[in-house]
Formats: sequence, C-alpha cells, structure tokens
Amino acid sequence: MDRQARRTVSREYFSQERLAEHHFRSFNNFMERGMQEVVAEKETIETDIGDKEGEEPVYVELGDVRVVTPRVREADGSEELLYPQEARLRNITYSAPVFMEMSIIRGGEEEEEVVVDSAETKVGRMPIMVGSSKCNIAGFSDEELVEIGEDPVDPGGYFIVNGSERVLMTSEDLAPNKILAEYDTKYGDEIQVAKTFSQRRGYRALVLCERNREGILEVSFPSVSGSVNFVTLVRALGLESDEEIVHRVSDDPEIVKFMLENLEMAEVQTQEEAIEKLGKRVASGQGKNYQLKRANYVIDRYLLPHLHEEGVEEEEVRSNKAFYLCRMAEACFELALGRRDSDDKDHYANKRLKVSGDLMKDLFRTALNKLARDVKYQLERANMRNRNLTVNTVVRSDVLTERLEHPIATGNWVGGRSGVSQLVDRTDYMGVLSHLRRLRSPLSRSQPHFEARDLHATQWGRICPSETPEGPNCGLVKNFAQAMELSQNIEDEQALKRELASMGVEGIPGLEGVEPQPADD
Amino acid sequence: MSQARSPNCPECDGRLNAHGDETVCGECGLVVAEDRIDRGPEWRSFADDDTNPERTGAPLTRSRHDRGLSTEIGRSTRLKGRKRRQMARLRRQHNRARISSKRERNQVYAFTEIRRLVSRLSLPEQVRDHACSLVRSAQNEDLVRGRSLEGFAAASVYAACRVAGVSRTVDEVTDVARADANEQQAAYDALNRELGLPVGPIDPVEYIPRFASKLDVDASVERRARTFAEEARKAGITTGRNPSGVAAACLYTAARGTDCQLTQRETADVAGVTPVTLRNTYTDLQNQ
Repeated sequence: MDRQARRTVSREYFSQERLAEHHFRSFNNFMERGMQEVVAEKETIETDIGDKEGEEPVYVELGDVRVVTPRVREADGSEELLYPQEARLRNITYSAPVFMEMSIIRGGEEEEEVVVDSAETKVGRMPIMVGSSKCNIAGFSDEELVEIGEDPVDPGGYFIVNGSERVLMTSEDLAPNKILAEYDTKYGDEIQVAKTFSQRRGYRALVLCERNREGILEVSFPSVSGSVNFVTLVRALGLESDEEIVHRVSDDPEIVKFMLENLEMAEVQTQEEAIEKLGKRVASGQGKNYQLKRANYVIDRYLLPHLHEEGVEEEEVRSNKAFYLCRMAEACFELALGRRDSDDKDHYANKRLKVSGDLMKDLFRTALNKLARDVKYQLERANMRNRNLTVNTVVRSDVLTERLEHPIATGNWVGGRSGVSQLVDRTDYMGVLSHLRRLRSPLSRSQPHFEARDLHATQWGRICPSETPEGPNCGLVKNFAQAMELSQNIEDEQALKRELASMGVEGIPGLEGVEPQPADD
Repeated sequence: MSQARSPNCPECDGRLNAHGDETVCGECGLVVAEDRIDRGPEWRSFADDDTNPERTGAPLTRSRHDRGLSTEIGRSTRLKGRKRRQMARLRRQHNRARISSKRERNQVYAFTEIRRLVSRLSLPEQVRDHACSLVRSAQNEDLVRGRSLEGFAAASVYAACRVAGVSRTVDEVTDVARADANEQQAAYDALNRELGLPVGPIDPVEYIPRFASKLDVDASVERRARTFAEEARKAGITTGRNPSGVAAACLYTAARGTDCQLTQRETADVAGVTPVTLRNTYTDLQNQ
C-alpha cells in the first residue's frame, strides 16, 4: 500500500463514527437483543398466591420489552423529547421510558388458566447512550446538531445521569468457559490445576480440577466445600465404567497409567453410589432422600453451568459435563508430563472485554429481578385486600429506574465492583477520545503483577503500546490501538453449531437433522 | 456504602486483604473494593445546621410510616448453622415488630400505594410527601374508618396535585389507582370537608401543557392556547365550566388558525370530556 492509500485508511479509522464505535455497537446490541434476552430468561414472576386452600395460583408472564427514545416528563405532566444538551444543562438524566408486555394469569390448579389482565405498561426508565441508535440525535446532520446546541464533533458513547456525563469503563476479564491449565503449590508441593470460569446468564462459577501430590484428581466447584474426587463426580454424571472414563480422558499410554491409579483409588463403582457419596458431602446430617435430591440439584445447578442450553436434554448435558471434566483432567496430566506448558493468562486470546452493553446487561438483569420482587409483593398485597389484579396497578416504575441510574451515577456496579462508571474527562478534546477508548484491568494496582503489566506480544494491533499512565496503574490501564476492531459475541449460537456440524464436528447436543458429511479432501 | 460482602474473593474464593483504601484478593489480586469514602453529595439538608449538629443518617421523610428511621437486620454468608438460623428468627421477629399497630399497618399500605401512584404519574417528590401527610392527618381526624384505604391514597395524591398547582384530572388518577371512582370520590370529599384543603377552582392553564403534548401540537399553538385561557378567565367564561373542557376548547381554537388542525373529537377525548362540552366553550371564545 502506498503512502496515500495508508493515509486514507488511517483517516477513515479516525473519522468520528469510529472513535466510540465499540461503545455504540455494544450498547445497540444490548438495546436490540440483550434486553429481550434478559426478559426471556426471567420469563415469569411467580407469586405466593394460591398457597392457601381453595385459592388459585397467580403468576405474571413477561412478554416483549420496548424502549423508545429519551424524553422528559415535566411537572405539569407534559412529555417532550429530550436532547443531550438539555439534560446536561438541567441536571436531569438522559433516559428513555421502557415498556413491557405483562399478563397476569390465574389458575392451573383446579380451574383452567385464564388471563386476568394483559397490558403493555411502563416499567421504568433506561439511561441512553449519547449517539447510540436510541439517542434522539442519531442521524442528525452537523447543522441540525448545532441547531439543538450539540457539538457536532462530540464522539458520544457516554451516558448523562443527573446532568453529569458518565462513561462506562471497558474492563478486561479472563475469558470465561475456557480451560486454563497452570501450576500451583499446595503444602510446598507443586501441583497441576485446570481452571474454568463457567458463566451462564450472569451466574459465574469457578470449577477447579487439581492433581494432588499423590496423583489423584480432585474437583472443586461452588456449593461444595473442599473438593470431590474426580472419579466419583464423573460416575455421578453417568460415566460409569473404568474403560469409558479412561478412554474419555486420553489414549496416551502415560496418561492411561495415571488414570488407572485414580481408578484404583476410586471410592465408588456405580452412578447410584456416586450420587449417594456426593449427597453426603453436600447435605451431611440430613435425611437420605433429601441428600439425593440435593446432590442432583447441585450437579445440575452449580457444576459447569455454561454447558446448559435451551432445548438440550438434561441427560445429554450431564454427559457433556462428564466429557468436559475429562478434558480438564487431560489438561492436568499433560501439564504433569510436560507435554504442554501452562496457559498464559496474559495472552489476548484468553481475555474478553466487557464493554458498556455487557455491563448494562448485568445491571438490567439485577434491576429486573428487583422489579419482579416488587411486582410479586404488590400482587400479593392487592390480592389480600381483594382488589382486582391489573397490570397497571402492580408495577412501580421507580424501582427499575432507581436500580439502573444509581450504579451509573456512582460507579458502584452490581457484583461489588466500584469505579465502573467515570466522569468523562473534558480537559480537552483528546482527553475525551482517550477516555472513551480506555480499558481497565480489574487487578490490584498495589500489587506488583509484573506479567500483567508487561506489554504482551498479542496486544499488537489491539492495544496501544505506549499509552498507559505512569505510577501504580501502569500497564493495568490501557488504551485501544487506532485501528482496533472489537468483535461481538455470536448472535445465534444454534446457527454456529449447525455450521460446525455441517463441517464435520460431531457430538454437538441439541442439533437434529444435520447429516454428518464426510470431509472431502 | 454499607453492604454485606462475602469475606472471600467473588472470582477465585481467595482470602481478602484490606490495606489502604483497597480490599484486594490475596490469590488473584482482584480489587473487590476501593475508596471507602463516599464523596457523593450529603444526604441530609443542613438547613437547620445551627440548631442541629447531627450529620449522619438518611434524611427524615414524611413518606414513611416511621419517618425513614427503620432498622433492618441484614444477611451475611459468614454466619453458619445455628447462628444463622438464630439471625433468621431474629429478622422475622424484627420485621413483625416493625409495625406495632393496625393504624401503622394501614399507613404502610397507604404510603406504598401513594409511592406507586406518584411514580406512575411521574409527579415530583413534594407531591408525594404532601400526599403522605394528608393521609396521616386523615388518620388523626379519624376519617379513614369506614372508607377505603386505596381511596384515600388516590384522593390524597389528587389533592396534593391540586394544592401544588400541577393538576391531574380525577380520571387520570383513577385510571392508575387501585381504588374505584366512588371510593376515591368519597375519600376526597371527606378530606376536603374535614381538613379544609386550600384548593380553589382549577385554572384551565394547568391542563394545557399536558393536553398539548398528548395531542402533539406545536409550541406556538400551546402558547396561543394559554393566552386564550387567560382571556377566557378574565371574561368569566370559565366559571361553572369543566376546566379540562375549557383547556381543550382553548387548544382547539388555537389550533384552528394554524396548519396543524385538530378535530373536536380527538381534542375532547384527550381531555376526557364530550365534544359538546368543548363546543360550548369554543362558541363562547369565538364570541369574544
């Protein structure tokens, strides 16, 4: 490429729309799909109505969610379109009303289910990113922007809450749902550990698979204190025979030898025994039936939750979990045998960025839960006082609004992280641009973490090699490179899996009608 | 910010060390919390700074039965077994003891309903506080007995709006209230009679901005409608007329001259009156 062409490309990357493009894409994505996904996850709001004798149960079904563009409701009751500059000057929040379809349904016990009331109601207000597709200035020409008092070269990409501009810091996290093998020390001995941050719908569970100094594999996951024997857990998941377990881990003779040691030490031989054993761990001192119930619940709920998927049989999920654990075991053994090196946590392939849309999704999820709890309470009260149950009279719209605005205004995010939102740096124009393209590592700045602060080779083309603050934050706060492109999560996982299956990948659950095709060379 | 936190790291379950202004996981180095000083604006108003040296606690509010001075027993994952169950029992007893009398229970219910109505109608906070104190006074005067609580909640919101000069029509409040029109009317009558609400006839001007935004007309039309309403008041056309009807007629008249035409029907619908009501005021305005 000659110099002229390079310059053109470079200009294009520094054009206005691209500067906060990652924020827009992420937030628009959240508006268009993310919100609906969160509502679909929630699906219904159950109530305690119907616990009494002779009373029919009542629940609320959540339907489509819709966000309009920002507007302001004046004290005299009139509602008008709100533009960012007005929000800044009047110290109000640049937010748009959120509407949701709700139906109150009664029955299902003895009578048939009837829809008591169904309506689309305003559930709250959602702060809107300036410049996003839901923003009132989207698609305005420079002249129109000047007309409404907006700066035509302002990049957007931030929120306005109570008149102050807040930008959500992109945060750099370790990739979830990936096996990371590494060395660790326990009681002075070196051991091998395979880790996975399993994540699904905002729930995060750390699953560890350790090979201890006797060479025995142990797995630990949330809700079980300490660790569980690997073979026990795999048997509880339905992988029973010795041969199958060994085969699933590896065919490598050395690893098979290690596996046989494990099987010799096995505490249980069958699935029933294994579940019993697990039950004793998770609910010791309780009745036997409860122990079994609890053990099954723990397996389905807390162990590797990311392997669950809509429309996949529970049975299949369990066998997938067993296979996944076997992969983790293999990683441990390979590390022990020196067949592989430990995974590099600072490699950019092992990093994921949480941009504004992802952060807002987390926030919206907890806000919706709070709203659901309030609706439940209001419904129960209304029912107790023999009032008609209508959608309009059970929703308090300030609950959701409050839960969405407060974290953005203070930076205290859900999950106990602070400093997520920051006041946009308006020292000068470059300050704004740099601030919008900044990302933060959640590691401590008072600990050395030399490797995490170092410039990693994989940051080439993604992260600016020179722009980082001096002092305690050095290397932890980074800035995007000029031509950085941030790819989004896959929209339709099913389509991806179908594509993979058509390319010859076998054993993807929940897919039917795809004929395995022979690979043509 | 007082928040119940687990003593372990949320990501790797490691031990947390607090040093300086940071709480840091010893295993993975995740910063769980930092900067414990709340630099946000103060919660309370310090208008009475000279007489009252207290600087802590949330502001007192009239919109809570205990004026915002409640105590809650929180939850902790640090407690296990017996201690935990004991705390759960304490929490339950504490919640039961929070409301001591039937009267307070009613107040809690009425205030929740008021809060819901106020958020639903997007009314300012002063209206909420005033509505709550109206319910309190009604209870003191023993007006609530025999009338419905929901009615009082709705009526006091309506009354507070009128006193504050941000009138809503009765129908607008009834639409979102749990009370029906009769209950609300009964409660409002009682409030008005016994407490002597400082409300005069409604000025139609109060309705104009809201109807204008519902009809989506120009700001110039709205401005003209205001002057019409003012003239009508001076000429005495408004006396004895439904104020929302007058407001609708003013808007209709103002829109007639411009290119954004309104029909009598749609204007009347927005105001919740019949086209006939609108027409009567309209002809009077024409005669002016």
